[in-house]
Amino acid sequence: MIDFNSVGGAFSLLTSDWSAWIYLIPGLIIGLFFGAMPGISITMAMAIFLPMTLYMDFLPAIIFLTSIYTGAGFGGSVPAVLMNIPGTSSAVATTFDGYPMARSGQHNKALGIALASSVIGTLSSYILLFVLIAPISRVVLKMGPLELFFVAAWGLMLLGSLAGRSLARGLLAGVFGVLLGTVGMNTAGFIRGTMGVPWLLDGIPTIPAMMGLLAASQLLGLINTTYLVEDEASRKISFRQIVSGLRQAISYPAIILRGAVIGILVGAIPGVGSSISNLLSYSETKRNAPDGDTFGQGNPKGVIAAEAANSSSEGGAMATMLALGIPGGGATAILLAAFAMHNIVGGPSFIGHNKDIVYAIIFSNFAQAVLLLMVGLGFVYIAGYVVRVPLRYLIPTILVVSTFGSYAIDGTSSGPITLFVFSLLGWAMVRYGYPVAATVVGLLLGGLLESNLLRTYQVSGGDPAYALERPGALLILAIMVVSVTITAVSKARRRAGDAAVGQQKPAPKA
Amino acid sequence: MQPGQGRLVVMWGHLALLAVIAGVVVAYWMDARATSLKVNNLLLVQPASVLALMLVALVVPQCFKRTVPGADEEVPAESLSDLGKVAALAACFGAFTTTLEIVGFDVATFLFMIAALFICGERRWWLNLSFSAAFTMLLIYGYGALIPFPFPLTVL
Repeated sequence: MIDFNSVGGAFSLLTSDWSAWIYLIPGLIIGLFFGAMPGISITMAMAIFLPMTLYMDFLPAIIFLTSIYTGAGFGGSVPAVLMNIPGTSSAVATTFDGYPMARSGQHNKALGIALASSVIGTLSSYILLFVLIAPISRVVLKMGPLELFFVAAWGLMLLGSLAGRSLARGLLAGVFGVLLGTVGMNTAGFIRGTMGVPWLLDGIPTIPAMMGLLAASQLLGLINTTYLVEDEASRKISFRQIVSGLRQAISYPAIILRGAVIGILVGAIPGVGSSISNLLSYSETKRNAPDGDTFGQGNPKGVIAAEAANSSSEGGAMATMLALGIPGGGATAILLAAFAMHNIVGGPSFIGHNKDIVYAIIFSNFAQAVLLLMVGLGFVYIAGYVVRVPLRYLIPTILVVSTFGSYAIDGTSSGPITLFVFSLLGWAMVRYGYPVAATVVGLLLGGLLESNLLRTYQVSGGDPAYALERPGALLILAIMVVSVTITAVSKARRRAGDAAVGQQKPAPKA
Repeated sequence: MQPGQGRLVVMWGHLALLAVIAGVVVAYWMDARATSLKVNNLLLVQPASVLALMLVALVVPQCFKRTVPGADEEVPAESLSDLGKVAALAACFGAFTTTLEIVGFDVATFLFMIAALFICGERRWWLNLSFSAAFTMLLIYGYGALIPFPFPLTVL
């Protein structure tokens, strides 16, 4: 599986040319900064700096861009933890427990946990990529619409775990999100629900809608609070707490490994990527955790699961891009553009003839992950000061920054208007106990579910027996069913155990 | 608790939210059906709409609660002035997001900052005005340098 001659070639490429290394730290800092700015996506950060790479050699150019990719991947978790704003769709699950941790004064720890999980996630994904790049590319080529539909459905299973107190309200929030996610023109060319608004043809803008549902709605609700962290003593910025967060993340290797495996597998699927992997990893961790009931209230395991998966998706997406020349998302599309700018065509022929360069890119990513730990520590230390800003200043400034960010996506008012509408909807939903996160998940997956269901219907001619011809899809379905069954059984056992303990306890005095 | 005991509380806000959700779902479903009745159009939208309306029907009874004194109340308990502040901020935010391109990002941001800071509790005018002006400048020039689209401006 590993070509050791090429590994040697990669080492000589990286050690003979120091220009490959000097762009690492600037790339990471740019990525962290841009990733932490709401509305500025990883893709946008890479696109802004793409023209600069024209004047670099090929390898330094790719290393510079992948450093931005790595930095921005983690940068998005900083506003997710501190302000409940997922900078990108891949940081949605980080908000579920990261923000409650920050609200309870554990912002230092939450940021440390997110950083360590990201670093280890990135490292493990590239280690897996180093070993598995060839077999992964073979599997990805065999995925059809039914398999993609089941992957999206697996993501939707998260709705059940996000349901909160009322299952009906949780499901309603999720189904409503799915419906909103299908607004616009579907893949068969039918236009629905646009009300004649031209920008709704492409669907409801997802990032502004997410920012509105998760962040702006919370900000409206916080208007009568003085600080993000109410307890003055908990508002301290503590380097020790950040480091203790790092240590805590390392103490859950199984969660990180599960996140890394989910991240690399889902990240390798074109068009799916990190926006689903963080949700899948979160839901699987919640399902398997003995304290699954406390997820969503500031459980560190939720942050670890989400961050390990979204950062390791980078490795998966790189596998598809390098091995097949297929960009899984915007960021890898920019990398392919950088390939083209240097007159190099990505794909099977590239990997076949330039294995040394592929391995050099992988090795440089090991270095990026290690450097991210150091640069990221300084970055989160400074970012942590957000909790010391009075909310009367924080609320208007975040609302304005979110509005600018939503405008920055396509340069039209569609973003700001979507942000406003969804902030009102989110505020009302939070007020009456609906899990807005379920609506966000539905919104993200609605289009994907419909397009793959439609393609499956077209390919199969409506014959359900078609599923029997797709062993991969059946395998994903079987894994889903097994995982749900195991969870249901373990939950039932836990409930029975709790009931037994309750019966043994003396009745409380009236 | 005996049936019929306690005071019946109607959560009008929750009912209104359900009415909005049901309204959006029905309007979307009807629009989709008006577009085409082909399977390629309704494969996901129709079953999801029916499911959403069934779930709305399941949740509606939760808007009517019998409460007993001293019991945990699910009804949100903000004061009218708290709700008024939320409404005022939401109204300013709505005006800000919908008029950005018309009045210019600089003017809209400056005015929104002044109003929002006041609503959120900043009563020192000199600080409010100077912070709003400084923040507007920083954002217009800082964010403007990062993004590929120009912001429509009136003064700056």
